[in-house]
Amino acid sequence: MPQIKIKSINAFYEKLHVLKNIELNVSKGEIVSLIGPSGSGKSSLLKMLVGLLIPKSGKIYLNENLVNFKNQSDLRTIREQIAIVFQQYNLFQNMNVLKNVCIAPTKIQKRDPKEVNEQALNLLEKVGLKDKLKSYPDELSGGQQQRVAIARALCLNPQILLLDEITSALDPELVKEVLDSIRLLASEGMTMLIVSHEMNFVKEVSSRVVFMDEGSIIEINNPRNIFEKPKEKRTLDFVSKILKEK
Amino acid sequence: MGYTLVYTQVLEFLPYLIKGAWISLQIAILAFFGGMFFGLILATVRTFGNNISNKIVICYVTFFTNTPQLVQIYFLFFALPEFGILLSPYIAVLLGMTLNAAAYLCEIQRAGFLSIRQNELDAAKTLNFSLFQQVKYVILPHIMRVLFPPLSNHYIIMTLGTSMAAIFGVEELTGRAFNINSETFRSVEIFSITALIYIVITFIATFLLAIIGRYFFKAKIRIIQ
Ligand SMILES: Nc1ncnc2c1ncn2[C@@H]1O[C@H](COP(=O)(O)OP(=O)(O)OP(=O)(O)O)[C@@H](O)[C@H]1O
Ligand SMILES: [Mg+2]
Repeated sequence: MPQIKIKSINAFYEKLHVLKNIELNVSKGEIVSLIGPSGSGKSSLLKMLVGLLIPKSGKIYLNENLVNFKNQSDLRTIREQIAIVFQQYNLFQNMNVLKNVCIAPTKIQKRDPKEVNEQALNLLEKVGLKDKLKSYPDELSGGQQQRVAIARALCLNPQILLLDEITSALDPELVKEVLDSIRLLASEGMTMLIVSHEMNFVKEVSSRVVFMDEGSIIEINNPRNIFEKPKEKRTLDFVSKILKEK
Repeated sequence: MGYTLVYTQVLEFLPYLIKGAWISLQIAILAFFGGMFFGLILATVRTFGNNISNKIVICYVTFFTNTPQLVQIYFLFFALPEFGILLSPYIAVLLGMTLNAAAYLCEIQRAGFLSIRQNELDAAKTLNFSLFQQVKYVILPHIMRVLFPPLSNHYIIMTLGTSMAAIFGVEELTGRAFNINSETFRSVEIFSITALIYIVITFIATFLLAIIGRYFFKAKIRIIQ
C-alpha cells in the first residue's frame, strides 16, 4: 500500500504544461530520488505535493485518502504530514534561525514551546549551526540557510519529507552528514522524495530513482540500473552527460 | 548693523507659540494617518486592481506628486466654494495635506507590497499558517521594516509642511509667528525661536520613530542623517 499515490497528474503554470501525466507511487519509508535536466519539473512536482501548484487533472492519494486540493481542510491535512525544504530555502528573513525553526511547531502545531525549543536546539546542533541561533538568514551562507531549512522541516516531525536540491549548497563533508541523517530518518520510517544533481548521493541513498524530462516521467528504476543500464535512451543521454561533467 | 537682538519681549509669547506648535502637530498627525489610510486603499487598488482602476490611481498620484501642495490647497480653499463647498482654512489645509500625502504614501506602501517575497509566503502556506498568521508573522513585519524609514521621513516632511497653513490664516506655529511679528516687529527673534521649536518637534519625532522602528520592526534608521 503506497503512502503517496500519484495518478495521471497534469499541472500548468498559465499555459506551460509543467507536469505531464505523472504516475508515481511511493511507499512508507522509501527514499525516492528525482533527477532530470533543469526545467524538467522536479521542483514543480514537489510543490504540487504540498499544494502550491494545483493539478488540473489526475488524482493524488495520501495514505489511501483522495486529496481534494480545492478543499482547505484537505490542504491542511497534507501539509501536516508533508514537510518541504525548498530549493531556495525560503526562510523567513525577519526571524532568526531559532525562530525560523520553532515558529510552526509552537504557533501552528501548538506544541509545548519548551519541548520544541529543545528539539530545535538538538536539530540545529546536528546540522552544525549551534552558534548561529540568533543570526538572521541574510547573515548566513547558502549552505547554512539550507541547513536551517532542513532543521525547520524536521522539527515538524513530518511523515514525509520533500528535499529540493539539498546537496547543492553543502560542502562535501556536510553532504556525508546529511546523507547519514537521511538514512537514519528513513530507517525510522520517514518517507522521502529527494531532488538532487549529486549522482553519488542519489546512488547511495535512494531506493528508487525517477528520471524526469520536459514534465514527464521517462523512467523509474533502481539506483544501480538507472546509472549502469537505463531502459530509456533519454535517461542514458542524461546520465552519461552528468557523469562526464564530473 | 543697527539691529540688537532682544529676546525678552518675544519670550513672553513662548506659551502662545507652543500652543501653535501643538496645532501644527495635530495637522501633521491627522493628515499623515489620513494619508496612510487613503494611500493604503490606493496602493491596494494599484497592486491588485484592474486596468481602469489602475489608471485612475496613476492619474491621482501623478497629479498630486507633480503639482505644488500650496496650489492644491488653494484649489480646495478658493475653487471649491464656486461649487458650493465651503471649507474652513483648517479643514482645507488638513484635507489638502491628506490628499497630497495619500499620493506619496500610496507609492511608498505599494513599494512595500511589491517587496513581499513570494518565497516566504510559500513557506508559510506549507507550514499551514492561516492568512491571518501569514500577515502577522511574515507580511507585516517585513512591510514595516521596509516601510518604516520612508514613512518616517515623509512624516517629518509633512510636519514642516504644515507651516503652509499660515498662508490660509490657520493659527498654527508659523501662523502665530506671523501674528507676533506684526505686533512686535521682532522678526529675527520670533522666527529664530519658531525655527527652534520646529527643530525640537522634528527631532523628538525622529528620535521616537527611530526607537520604535529599530526595536519593534528592526528597521535600519539613523537618528541624525
Ligand atoms: N512559478 C512559476 N511560474 C511559471 N513558470 C514556472 C514557475 N516555476 C517554474 N516554472 C517553469 O516550469 C518549468 C519547470 O520548473 P521546475 O522549477 O519545476 O524545474 P526543475 O526541474 O526543478 O529545474 P531545476 O533543476 O533548474 O531546479 C520550467 O520551465 C520553469 O521555467
Ligand atoms: Mg528545481
